[in-house]
Amino acid sequence: MRKIILLLILFTPLFTSAQIRDDVDASRKWFLPDHIKLQFAGNIGFLSGGPGYISKNRTLETDLLFGFLPQKFGGDALVTTTLKTTYSPWSIPVKSDYYIKPFSLGFYLSYTFGTQFDTKLPSHYPVGYYWWATSFRSGAYIGGKVGKDLTFKNRQRSLEMYYELGTYDLLLISYVQNTGYLRPSDIVNLAIGVRLGF
Amino acid sequence: MKNFPKALLLIWGMTLTACEGVFQYNPNQVIFKENETNLNQKNIDRIQAIPLKDTVRFILMGDTQRWYDETDAFVKSANSQKDVAFVVHAGDISDFGLSQEFKWVNKIMVKLNCPYLTVIGNHDLVANGPAAYQKIYGPMNYSFEYGHNKFIFINTNSREYVFNGEVPDINWLQSQLADNPENKNAIVVAHIPPFDGDFDPNLQDDYSGLLANDKNVKFTLYGHQHTFKDGEFYNDGVHYYLTTAMGERGYWLLTTWKGGYKAERIEY
Repeated sequence: MRKIILLLILFTPLFTSAQIRDDVDASRKWFLPDHIKLQFAGNIGFLSGGPGYISKNRTLETDLLFGFLPQKFGGDALVTTTLKTTYSPWSIPVKSDYYIKPFSLGFYLSYTFGTQFDTKLPSHYPVGYYWWATSFRSGAYIGGKVGKDLTFKNRQRSLEMYYELGTYDLLLISYVQNTGYLRPSDIVNLAIGVRLGF
Repeated sequence: MKNFPKALLLIWGMTLTACEGVFQYNPNQVIFKENETNLNQKNIDRIQAIPLKDTVRFILMGDTQRWYDETDAFVKSANSQKDVAFVVHAGDISDFGLSQEFKWVNKIMVKLNCPYLTVIGNHDLVANGPAAYQKIYGPMNYSFEYGHNKFIFINTNSREYVFNGEVPDINWLQSQLADNPENKNAIVVAHIPPFDGDFDPNLQDDYSGLLANDKNVKFTLYGHQHTFKDGEFYNDGVHYYLTTAMGERGYWLLTTWKGGYKAERIEY
């Protein structure tokens, strides 16, 4: 039962967004999401997905993703919410409907649920005993994407696939203090995903 | 361009198989390879297969937490010592309790010429640390015998359990000390020494008393305070040794024989 609820939480944004897409025409309400994303890996879940917005000049995307890592794949079942923003300054048209956004730079802040994680140091520790929060993680990544313009039900839409090479705060500080033993590749991991714009 | 999705899938599949760990799902995931599980028992098996000599020599080191460069240098120093049967890690293997940190430390420690054993530290109990530690190393309390020695490893990180009176497990320690029919040197190893503020104050007397009242206990080994310390802190005939952190680049070299031992402080 818990698994079903979690899956619903994970995919609810997809269903609601799909509905919205069909209901509106050219005069879209400003608060409706501009796209949905589904991502694999990237330290915010085995799979994560959710709605997001893009700036008017189509370079800055901001997403709210709900991620889930099943026990089977992760050794522990973990639910994560992530606020993520990606800047992709260049879009290069390729052929008629395709384009490449060769470079993206982004940041995220994630929150993982669980009684073993805390945001404020519990009172049984002296002040400053552990300096970091275990529930929140912040990370950064670079990446790129390829996209295709689609026309569907008389609306211009787009489908993009993206990859991201990222790391997060605790790995970065580990690397910075151990540049002799650790290599940059030791702290970098890969994420891939799709973005459906509408 | 049409084949792009196919190509991407292919690349994805190849990356998945080629580079283990290239995809990470959560910093707190508990994913280990087969050769990264139950390492304490596997290494005990290796130690017990080493032919016995009259003396047993081992190294006490600890607090590798976020000191990978220094731990790497430690391995070189340890490998230059003669006749070391094994290395004991006194805890705080990781700093943030992340599986990734345990993997990094293990990757360094397997370069030792001998097996190594660990006891859990307070930093190893942060976040999903308990699950990660038990997956890669095994139970938090365990013991084994080698030659004239009985080594007892015990979780003494009371503060991580809000001083609930159950850590360290006094009853378990008592039964381990009692189960020593051949009167071997009983060597208790833990992360936090009983006179530290992170040790349950209500259990300090019980714990130190157990060691003092056992004639087989001559000395006992700890980490945690990031500085060398040694002495009979309770004036009860039990000598406490604390090893320093890897950041301070030091460790103890211990040699034991029937009824005696020697401890040397090494800096590298």
